[in-house]
Parts: sequence; structure tokens; C-alpha cells
Amino acid sequence: MPFMEFVNFYLMPGIVLGSIYALGAVGITLVFGILRFAHLAHGDLATLGAFAALGVVTIFGVSPWVALPVAMIFCAFMAIGIDKVFYDYLSERPKIIVVMSSLGIALMLRALVQVIWGVDTETYTRGIVRPENYWGIRIRDREIYTIIAMFAIVGVLWVFLQKTKWGKAMRAMSDNPDLALLSGVDNRKVTMLTWAIVGILCAASGFFLGINTELKPLMGWTMLLPMFAATILGGVGRVEGAVVGGLIVGIVEETSVLLIPGEYKAAMAFAILLLILLVRPTGLLKGKVL
Amino acid sequence: MLKKIALAAGLFSATALASNAAQADVKIGLLGGISGPIAAMAPPMLVSSKLAIQQVNEQGGILGGQKIVTVVGDSACNPQNGVDAATKLVNIEQVVGLIGPHCSGSVLAVANSVTVPAGIALITPSGTSPEITGLEDKGLVFRTVPSDDFQGRSLARTLLELGTKKVAVAYLNNDYGSGLANSFKAEFEANGGEIAGYSAHEDGKASYRSNLAELSRGGADTLVIFDYGDGTGLTILRQALENGFFTNYVGADGMKSDAIIRELGTENLTTFVTSSPVGEKSDSLAVFNKAYIAAGGNPDAIFVTSSYDAAFLMALALEKAGGDAAKVSESIVAVSNGQGEAILPGEWKKAVELIAAGKDIDYKGAAGDLNFDRAGDVPGSYGLFKVDGDTFALQQTLN
Repeated sequence: MPFMEFVNFYLMPGIVLGSIYALGAVGITLVFGILRFAHLAHGDLATLGAFAALGVVTIFGVSPWVALPVAMIFCAFMAIGIDKVFYDYLSERPKIIVVMSSLGIALMLRALVQVIWGVDTETYTRGIVRPENYWGIRIRDREIYTIIAMFAIVGVLWVFLQKTKWGKAMRAMSDNPDLALLSGVDNRKVTMLTWAIVGILCAASGFFLGINTELKPLMGWTMLLPMFAATILGGVGRVEGAVVGGLIVGIVEETSVLLIPGEYKAAMAFAILLLILLVRPTGLLKGKVL
Repeated sequence: MLKKIALAAGLFSATALASNAAQADVKIGLLGGISGPIAAMAPPMLVSSKLAIQQVNEQGGILGGQKIVTVVGDSACNPQNGVDAATKLVNIEQVVGLIGPHCSGSVLAVANSVTVPAGIALITPSGTSPEITGLEDKGLVFRTVPSDDFQGRSLARTLLELGTKKVAVAYLNNDYGSGLANSFKAEFEANGGEIAGYSAHEDGKASYRSNLAELSRGGADTLVIFDYGDGTGLTILRQALENGFFTNYVGADGMKSDAIIRELGTENLTTFVTSSPVGEKSDSLAVFNKAYIAAGGNPDAIFVTSSYDAAFLMALALEKAGGDAAKVSESIVAVSNGQGEAILPGEWKKAVELIAAGKDIDYKGAAGDLNFDRAGDVPGSYGLFKVDGDTFALQQTLN
């Protein structure tokens, strides 16, 4: 097989898909690290974000790229609201109850999308976009934007976590919540801030999935397993690990077709998840052990 | 405390009243793929089934003036949701017959674990997998749509006649996709065609470009897609068109979805054709078309004729069986076995009078004569459709 064909049809789609997984995985890793539970509503919150952007596009007739920030803000407030109404109420209970309640939230969010937007497959813009050719690499503009946006969003988040007061507070909560509390970190505010960031990341991952393919009520739910695999592969609580994990899962899924039949592609995320839990439970970048 | 008792008593009498009122009605389950990969196809199908029930109720009702009540369930086009919804319909709603589910995988699961053990008859208007033929169903599973064994084979022969000798096949890894793909492959190769790529894929992934690249390496310029046009089929067709993996695209009934035209645009679909069952021209079809248009529907939408027939047939069988769920399956065969006075769609009053007089009736359905074989299957005819404007137009009939 020619090298360029490999790059165009296996590697590039893998990187684009991996970027979408990475955006989701970063959100999951934040919830995992700071709030210490597996957030199963993550995929459906991404679906809601994608459809919220669609709502902005259809109502105001603007470009989907303008709708993205609106959807991000919307999802940030949704995430804070969900936390206030449901997760905060359960915060003193065993974590498994919060995890199960997040499954319920997932079903509620999906039902909300189905009630408002219906069950049909939708797209931001009608028609198809053929890829451009850059020195032999065939890539669509929106795919370039997807990769750039992923690195930009995660980069901003990384600087925020490393340099700012609130970022440091979030990392302190992640390392040791009791110690953070004793040192005067406002638990409640950090939790809210985390959910706002998670909402923004969810909206972004849903949006980029939607603009690269289609919008379906189940789109986020089916991404949940690869996103969790990416989180654990990268190391729980590690933002840069989630990015590496996301890209690896995406590329492995797409290139797996070269070696195994296409119907087993969906099982790759699961295989990666099992393998990493067996061989290196801390993940590639030494995250928390759950 | 007294208040609570009073409230409880009130609630109790309210439910008792409700169940009394319900006894005067006959409940039929309508199980469809309302959400999931055939979401755009399901609504016209449900409207069509309900039209049949509405005609029954308007023409005097069933079993001496009772009304048929339809209870809708969502199978989401997958086995798990299908079984959940069917269990609810059979055990809680106590339906006496089931119309649906819409997707083959759901039909197999629902039949195996819900309706056959419960002894409830099921008529699916769109479960087309060849697997359903071989189901051990105690004669309780019927379909008003022909098996995909016919569709796959006639599509293969027609493509060869049109000069397409080499194709790649991408099919959804479920009972619908694999059933269709297997019969297509067998017939295509038996008649001298070459399958240059043959691969299953899972539902719900974001990218299928690597799958498509693998398929295109065989050198075929035609891709045959056995998938759903509201689901993965749309994603695959989009990515194949965008990257120019193939020149020509062929789909089967699942791809004949308006979502494809709406999302990809007519101008991009000039080389896309899709096969689908067509009603043979008959008086029955004309009568149905008129009634369905009057009800505000488009009779060319997929599976609307078979959905109507499934519902009307279920009503006829219930009337013939005297409301006894155990006798419904033999009655379904009896009211449509080619013997007796012909009943066209909507001729409910006439049918009731004939049944009351003890005479044989033979329902001539909109989708065909519906003379069931031993497996509960019917023969059928197909057409090849191309995209024309905002809708699909018949290009030629398949043999």
C-alpha cells in the first residue's frame, strides 16, 4: 500500500477521531480526578452540546463556528445545573450511587434531545465537502480546524491549571481534597468551576463529532467507551495523558482495519481498556489508580 | 390518616374504573423503530398501521362493536429495546397481537423471548432478514414483506444485467445487513460477478474511511451498501462520496431514506440507486393509495403498504378468532389463503358480515396478495429507485 494512502485514509481519520475522543477524555479525566467518579452522562452531555449548536444554527442562520461558543456556554451552565440539582445532593453518599445517577442523567439528557430535536439524523450544513489536497495529504478544512481547536482548547486549559490560582486549587483538590480544604480551598467553587470546564469540553467534542459526521441522539453515548478507554490509557487525572490516550485510541481504531475484519473495529477501545488495566493500571502518564 | 385512606380508596376505585373501561377495547401493540437508525422511516409506517385500525373503528369496530386501541412501543431498532418494549406490551398492556417490530434483529429477539413463549401472534411489516424464515416460532411469526433472500438475489441479477460485474459490499453487522449481504453475494458470484471487497461494520462509529479504503483496494468502482440510511449508511455514503472511493453506489431498502437526500443533497446523489419492495399494481394498491393520500401521507414512502396490511390483517384475524389470542395465528392464515371472497383494504364492514355468516374471506393486501407459506413468508417484487428531486423515483423493476 502506498504511504500516502495510509496517511490519507488511515492515519488522518485516526487523528481527527482521536482529537474528538481527546476532548471528551479530558473532561472525563477532570471529573475522575477532582470529583472522583466515573461520569457516564459525559457522552450525552456532548450530544446536547452538539444539538444546542444546531439549534443556534437553525434559529439564527449563523455559521456553525459561531454557534460553537454559544453551545459551550450553554453546556457549561447545564453541567453546573446538573451538579447542583443531582450530584451535589448525593455527594455525601457512596460514589457508586453518584455514578449510577449519572447514568440516569445520561438517559434524561438523551430524552431531552429527542423531545426537542426529534430522532432524525441531522447535519449543520447540507451537502458534502470534498477534501482539499495539501502536498498529497487529502484533508478537509473542518478536520484541520478540529485538530487545531483540540490542541488550542487543551493548551488553554493546561496553562490555566498550571498558572492560575483557581487552576492550582483544582489540582490541589485532585491531589488531596481534605488537605485542600484545610488550606482554604473553596470546595464548592472548585466543583462548580470543574463542571463549567467539563461542560465546555463536552460541547466541543460533540460539536466536532457533529461537524465531521452527523448529529444523532445516540452519537455521544456510542463515544463513551472509547473516551473512557482514552482516559484510563492516558492516566486518570492527567490532562495531557487524556490527549495522548485519545489520539492513540483514535489511530488504533482506524488502522486496526488493516489487520482485523472491520466489524471488530468497535472492539478496539475495549481491548485497549482491558490491556492497560492489566499491564499498567496507572496509565501511560502515571495517573491515579482507581 | 383518614385522609390517606380516603385518597387510597379514591385511587383504587379510579383504577378499577379505568380497567373496566379498558375491557371493552381490544389492544394491539404497535412496535416500531421510533428512535435509532430507521427513525425517519418509522413515522409513516406507524401512521399507515393506525390508518387501518382507524378504518376498522369507524366501520363499526371489532368483535361486535368494540374499539381497537393501539399501544405504541419503541424498539429503537435493536434487540434489547425491542424485547423491553415487547415485554411491556405483552405483559402489562396485555395486547392480543403485535404489529412489528420493524427491524429484523428486534423481530428475532422479540419472537424468541417474548411473543412465542406468550403465544401471541406477531406480524412484522419490515423485518426482512432471511433468518426470520427459519425461526422456530410455532407458526406465530408472520411478515407482510418478502424475505431479503429475494431482494438480495434480484438486486444481484439486475446489477449484472446492467453491466456491473465487479462490486464491493459493505454491510451492517446485524441480522438485516448480514442476511441481505449473504444472499446478494451468493447470487452475484453464482452468475459470474466478482465481489472485490466484502466487509461488515459496526453501527455508530464516527469514521469509516479506513473500512472504505480497504474495500476500494479490490478495484471495484461500485459499492453496495446494506445499511440504514438514517444511521451508519448515511455516514458511510457521505465519507465514500467525499473521498471518491467509488463511482457508483447501490443501496437496498434500508437506504431508501429521505435523510440521505436531505443531508447529502440531490446533486451529489446522481450515481446512487437503491432497491426496495414495490407493491404490484392492483386494485388493492389503488384503494390504499387513495386512502393514504386522503390521510395526508405519501404512499411511495417505504413499507407503508406492508404496515397497513399488517394492521388490517391483524384486525381481520382477531375478528375471525373471536378475540381469542390463541387462535389469532391460524386465523391470519385463514383470512388470507387465496380462498374465499376477496377483501380489499378498508373493506372492514363487508369482511365482518362475511365472517359472521361463516364464509371464507381472502384479504388482498396493498403490498400483494399475502398468501403466506408455511414459514409465514410472502413472495414479493422489487424496484430499483434513483434520486429525483427531493424524493426517490422508480427507475426500473427488478426481476
